Amino acid sequence: MEILSMENVGFTYPDSNEEVLKSINFTIHKGDFIVLCGSSGSGKSTLLRLIKHDLAPHGDLQGDIYYKEKRLEDHSPIRRAKEIGMVFQDPENQIVMDTVMNELLFGLENMGYSTPEMNKKIAEMTQFFGLNGLLKKKTDELSGGEKQLVNLVSVLLLDPDIILLDEPTSQLDPIAAKEFIYTLERLNDEFGITVLIVEHRLEDLFTVAEYVMVMDEGRISYIDMPEEVVKKLINHPTLSRFLPSASRIFLNFSESNESKQIPITVKEAQGWLETQVIHPSKTMEKTRDVNKNILKLKEIDFQYVKRVPPVLHNLSLNVCKGEWHAILGANGTGKSTLLKIIAGLLKHQHGSIKYDGKKIKNNYHEIVSYLPQNPALYFVQDTLMKEYRMLARHFQIENANEKISQLLNQFQIYDLKDRHPHDLSGGQLQKAALIGTLLTQPAILLIDEPTKGLDPESKSRLAEVLRTLIKDGLTIVMVTHDVEFAASYSSRSSLLFQGQITTTEDTRKFFKENMYYTTTVNRITRKSNAPSVITIEEANEKWHVQKDY
Amino acid sequence: MVRGIQSFHPFVLLVYYVLIIIGLMLYQHPLFLLGALFLIGTFNYILDKGRELKKWGFMIGMMSTLIILLTPIFNRRGNQILFHLFDQPIMLEAVIQGIMIASTLVGILAIFVTFNIVLTPDKLLYLFSKVLPQWALLTMLSMRFVPLLIRKVKEMMNIQQVKGLAINQGSVHKRAKNGMQIMQMLLTNALEDSIQAADSMSARGYGLQKRSNYKAFKMKSKDWLTLGYLMGFAIILLFGWAKGDGVLQLEPVLETIMFSGSEYIYFITWLFLIGFPILTEGKEVIHWKYYQWKM
Repeated sequence: MEILSMENVGFTYPDSNEEVLKSINFTIHKGDFIVLCGSSGSGKSTLLRLIKHDLAPHGDLQGDIYYKEKRLEDHSPIRRAKEIGMVFQDPENQIVMDTVMNELLFGLENMGYSTPEMNKKIAEMTQFFGLNGLLKKKTDELSGGEKQLVNLVSVLLLDPDIILLDEPTSQLDPIAAKEFIYTLERLNDEFGITVLIVEHRLEDLFTVAEYVMVMDEGRISYIDMPEEVVKKLINHPTLSRFLPSASRIFLNFSESNESKQIPITVKEAQGWLETQVIHPSKTMEKTRDVNKNILKLKEIDFQYVKRVPPVLHNLSLNVCKGEWHAILGANGTGKSTLLKIIAGLLKHQHGSIKYDGKKIKNNYHEIVSYLPQNPALYFVQDTLMKEYRMLARHFQIENANEKISQLLNQFQIYDLKDRHPHDLSGGQLQKAALIGTLLTQPAILLIDEPTKGLDPESKSRLAEVLRTLIKDGLTIVMVTHDVEFAASYSSRSSLLFQGQITTTEDTRKFFKENMYYTTTVNRITRKSNAPSVITIEEANEKWHVQKDY
Repeated sequence: MVRGIQSFHPFVLLVYYVLIIIGLMLYQHPLFLLGALFLIGTFNYILDKGRELKKWGFMIGMMSTLIILLTPIFNRRGNQILFHLFDQPIMLEAVIQGIMIASTLVGILAIFVTFNIVLTPDKLLYLFSKVLPQWALLTMLSMRFVPLLIRKVKEMMNIQQVKGLAINQGSVHKRAKNGMQIMQMLLTNALEDSIQAADSMSARGYGLQKRSNYKAFKMKSKDWLTLGYLMGFAIILLFGWAKGDGVLQLEPVLETIMFSGSEYIYFITWLFLIGFPILTEGKEVIHWKYYQWKM
């Protein structure tokens, strides 16, 4: 049964000549699981909001949107609110109540349900999603994954027929993101709820989705089964980065992609790999010359409150000059706390920190800079330029204007210099904040979760920028969940576990020895007859695939 | 505790507290007040072994001592002079009055400590939402967003500190300027976040029709019964008070402190009214002891 369709939909924002959406046509059937992907600014979110009629942006809308064979605007607002549910990107800001129970009740009360009805619905849903333990909790005590689950459940309580999700997992750590996607799959399988999800993180979604819809510059370029989309996108200059690693590694090494089945999951890719004869090519493993330590942490203890177990205990870490050091670890292991201690924001109770062999007292900001998780909070002025000028004045930087222009040009955001920070996209904002942190010419840059909410393209651009900085002699300490990002770009990696750094190794070695906490490519190649690698780039270096014809 | 005093409907609990506070103010009699203080103390002990009360202990002690000392100095009405202080007569009536005012105050404060434990914010809000649903919703929203805002301020201040723009360093002028800038940016951020919150609210159909109100608490037969018990006792006591029993007469002639006639009845009624939580909790304790013994 047809549930949603668009006919020749076009959309223009007010005060703009450019159409954000151009002649969109598609039909969604009941029970479909559809992934909508495309680079930032391709109009995905606008499309989603047009379907959620009551949140539609202002502007000029052409064409018709049909829901259950009637125009969207002809349905009653109550019916639209009930049957078309929407979950947003930021888990925090869409929660409006202080306890989980009240949050779940919020929508039900809006719909005017009676108390026994509400009790029944909530009992049912909490059982199904295992929320029992959370009901009485305060919403700000929940983890990101739990918050997003509460958001999903509070929408599901209204009994929707279709759920729209706008990058729901972009702020979550990989494990929570995976769980969230499997929850969606379960909803779709067991209740036939139609799912339309916009997402950048497609590694898992491609295996779950029935159809993939690709948007490019306001148009829908493809709607097809995942396998077909993989074939079509593989030669696309930017969108090919969105594909799952299993497919990318396959397509990298096989010439004819017409006849064969393209692997999407790890298992399928492993199957393909078994049929291949791969010789290690003669590449020399680059041996890094050991640099001297720039940052040395010794036996650090830290606890927030007395009587509560310490967050960090007996932690030691050495960071070498000019390296890109990634610190990985699950949620709540104290990664951000560690960064704050290095930045001098928190004072450790025991142990010592030495920069270049010396202790520092108060002038932290001359040595370390800190790029926060949410770069929007970095700015206090209303344009980028004002912010940089203020910093220049404050620190009496010489030739400030030249330096600022040079950095703006280097990061390709010169045109945005007079914009308000909030008008920038995630990637641009990050670069803008990065310029601010670099103005004081720190020796060490601390970065907290730089890839949160970025699409693959912005990620690789950010990595390029950071790489050039490393070449210029900067040392980067990065805290991240993003295994793939750390594996591709960092030079050394550490694992933070139970308040300690348990291992510090060269990134490639680090990931090769891990079984679960590692990249998809490594999981594919770990026990194969090919030399095990952690990224496609490494495979390109090390593999020599013998042609079987 | 699932059963004891906290299991009663918030309305019943509210009625209990209102009655006790009125009672404490009306029954100005040393023995009535003493009995009340003893039972309220026991109530506190049963709830949390008096931990919360101890936190207030110093303040309560200071205040009652001050009142007991100061009332006789300023109040000179009465017939029986105890002694002279700086040529001022200190009256027995005034001393008794000081003690009674002090114990009324102690009683009210101590019962408020239990009020805070028993009537948790969600129960209060529930009562509140019955009268003013819109305001209750607003309160709930701010209970969510104020802590969020505070967390964000802290985060922003941290970030500015690493940037070297701390608001706890430098001259007053500089600090104020940095502080203002942070405030300004915080407001911009908050506005942006609130747009998302508003979206999420309207996505779930907020404002489309009259909202229903989730009744987290139901008046059970136990609650009605208790309400009747409380009201019955209250009426008896009010009747007694109107008759002049349970109030120590200070003027024109000081009454004897010992009870006379029907005052015994009102005293016992008063103790049963205040002691109602102790009875329910005690019942639970006996119930469990018996249960364990039988096992």
